[in-house]
Amino acid sequence: MRKYLSKRILSSLLAITGLFVMVFFLARLTGDPGHLYLPIDAPVEVRKEFSEKHGFNDPIYIQFGRFLEDLSEGDLGYSLRKERPAIDIVLEAIPVTLSLAAVAMTIALIGAILIGSLAAYKPNGLFDRISRVVSLTAASAPDFWIAITAILIFSVSLGWLPTSGIGGLPYWIMPIGILVIRPLGLLVQVVRGSMITTLSSDFVKTARAKGVKEKKVIFKHALRNGLLPVITVAGDQAAAIANGAVIVETIFGWPGIGKLMIDSIMQRDFAVVQASILVTAIVILSINIIIDITYAILDPRIRHK
Amino acid sequence: MKIKSLSLAISSAAILAFSSLLSPAYSAGKDITIVIAEEPDIVDPCEATRSVVGKIVKQNVTETLTEINPADGSVTPRLATSWKQTDNLTWEFNIRKGIKFHDGEDLNAKAVVKSINRALNPKYDCEIRTKFFGNIKLTATATGSHTISIKTETPQPIMPAMMGTMTVVSPNTQEAKGVRDPKGTGPYLFNTWTPGQSVTLKRFDGYWGVKPEVENATYVWRNESAVRAAMVKTGEADIAASIGVQDANDPKMDFSYFNSETSRLRIDMTRAPLNDIRVRKAMNLAIDLDGLTGTIFPEGVVKMTQIVVPSINGHNPTLKPWPYNPAEAKKLVKAAKADGVPVDKEIVLIGRLGIYPNSTEAMEAMHAMLTEVGFNIKIKMMETAGWLNFLSRPYAEDRGPALQQSQHDNNNGDAVFSMFNKYACKGAQSTTCDKQVDAWITEATAAIGDKRRDTWRKAQKKLHEEIIPDVQMFHMVGFSRVNPRIKFTPTISTNSEIQISQVKFN
Repeated sequence: MRKYLSKRILSSLLAITGLFVMVFFLARLTGDPGHLYLPIDAPVEVRKEFSEKHGFNDPIYIQFGRFLEDLSEGDLGYSLRKERPAIDIVLEAIPVTLSLAAVAMTIALIGAILIGSLAAYKPNGLFDRISRVVSLTAASAPDFWIAITAILIFSVSLGWLPTSGIGGLPYWIMPIGILVIRPLGLLVQVVRGSMITTLSSDFVKTARAKGVKEKKVIFKHALRNGLLPVITVAGDQAAAIANGAVIVETIFGWPGIGKLMIDSIMQRDFAVVQASILVTAIVILSINIIIDITYAILDPRIRHK
Repeated sequence: MKIKSLSLAISSAAILAFSSLLSPAYSAGKDITIVIAEEPDIVDPCEATRSVVGKIVKQNVTETLTEINPADGSVTPRLATSWKQTDNLTWEFNIRKGIKFHDGEDLNAKAVVKSINRALNPKYDCEIRTKFFGNIKLTATATGSHTISIKTETPQPIMPAMMGTMTVVSPNTQEAKGVRDPKGTGPYLFNTWTPGQSVTLKRFDGYWGVKPEVENATYVWRNESAVRAAMVKTGEADIAASIGVQDANDPKMDFSYFNSETSRLRIDMTRAPLNDIRVRKAMNLAIDLDGLTGTIFPEGVVKMTQIVVPSINGHNPTLKPWPYNPAEAKKLVKAAKADGVPVDKEIVLIGRLGIYPNSTEAMEAMHAMLTEVGFNIKIKMMETAGWLNFLSRPYAEDRGPALQQSQHDNNNGDAVFSMFNKYACKGAQSTTCDKQVDAWITEATAAIGDKRRDTWRKAQKKLHEEIIPDVQMFHMVGFSRVNPRIKFTPTISTNSEIQISQVKFN
């Protein structure tokens, strides 16, 4: 297990290094940040002076050397726009997104396990048919439209919830609700499919024949085995939210990493782009490692390989 | 029955309790909330010419020496009480006495000179310098306790208007670096900034002017126009400074106003077939501007005849917009073709996504109308970064003929802030070069009074009638939503500043 984990961590570090180098060069292919930073009407001389001052007109290998030198001192650069260390800005944004992701995925996972398991208990029963239609609709729902519609209904018409912003419980309801919809829809489908297969397995039949209570059969014996594919999909969904719940962050005014990344890419704020990609990559690779560990716990075959 | 009634009562109570528990925070009392479209990345007053910064700090936290009247572009006193030109290259400004900065420092000549020097320090990429003073060598000197002289290497007859962009900060403000807690002389103190969430301003009791009604102002930001509009509708905010036309659907709350922006397609006159005047005339005759108004562009836009709006000094009111005459346009294209002009050559229409609402639809409509009269147009919609690569010099040598969707903002009182860049031979975004227009631009830039105005007007006329460097479109309108509990009328300046001291309560 330890060897397995060490291997996974090492390969993750290699992937992060590769990604980081790639982002450095790809970002600079987009052009000179001065074009976006300076006002449209800035004279040509001012543009030249700006590029020279910030080293944007140096050959790219010299810029890369400078970048490595700073990195060796633990310096991820300074935001051109915000005039602050890039890492500080990223570390302010990432907890926002991670809290959204954690709450949304917990709700989605619990909801999906309950609904999916119950649906699988009687395939093609009324509950199964309703849950299939609803989960399919949820899995393909457009976030943007739902978010704006929810604001119009719950904030403007009913006045129950704030339109947007960060605060206590009321401010969480709509953003979390929107974020939960798609993973919940997908996970219900996966749990249902996986549980139908598991519930028809020999070991489940044996358990039933031995007179084990139905509740225990479903939630203890079958669920443990049925969860393996669910973990993979849940991990992907969690990584997708961690990578930036851009629409929710943008509409509801949550200053998370997704919005920060998009804004810094649009503004060619290279230091922030690099820092946010680095931190997000670490988060996603951590999620993947957690998934691997969970897999190993659930499936002894992996543990003992 | 009893059980039913009891259930109903319990349900109603539960709903009420739930609603009150969840009720959002509404603006109340003498405090207001303003929702803007984007978060400021910095709040240094030196960046106040950027609209996101200007809406928060300009004339609220920090003030300028002069102010430009949005109605007619005239220059009025603010921190300076008077000014005069002492020779061709020198201006003298008298500074208002008895004013203190928010940190207790006195406003005097030395403080103003220090503030000007800070803004013009090349070590700091301050937008006031890069936008307005990039080509100007300027020396500011304190000549008395409350008198400064500003000397330039070339005549700057509109220095008083330019000082309407120069925010004055406390002498304790750090040099060559943006600040996150600006100290000025304005009616509001910069109170807090919670990154990602809000900025708050608090009324400054030591303000030299009339005491404003609003005690505290909170700025929040939401990218989505529908959300900004909803915030005012629900009472969570009092002013949504800018909303999309599609969200301006409540006549009791929504205002439209000229926003000082002018939209056009810049014609690259250096490339065939666009270097033929018949082609450029035909392009203007091909566009049905009336058809675009109230459909793709909102009601209230005004057909442009020149790059500056009517309130700007140098606007020529005698010019008439191009009529819609596709038959005449076709004749011109045919005549040009007969003379060997390659009118069939592909012309790229470079558009910018989101430059204004419905920008893509606008380009599709222009494409259809230009194609209708015989041009071979290909649309290329781009993000800002890519679009900018085509906008300014140095232009690519191997470029083909192109039209570029553009929008220009000038609410700074004078045509000088538009004309050189857009139409002079060496203008950063100019694709035209006419010796006469160049001479007029130079002449007007150095002139004052009627001569200045009339020279600009001559240049505008020649550009409009003889050179035709643009497919002319509209002077644009913006929309704001204002909560009926306050009195605030958006103006042409609302794009760049929101003076909270002008907000009153109903």
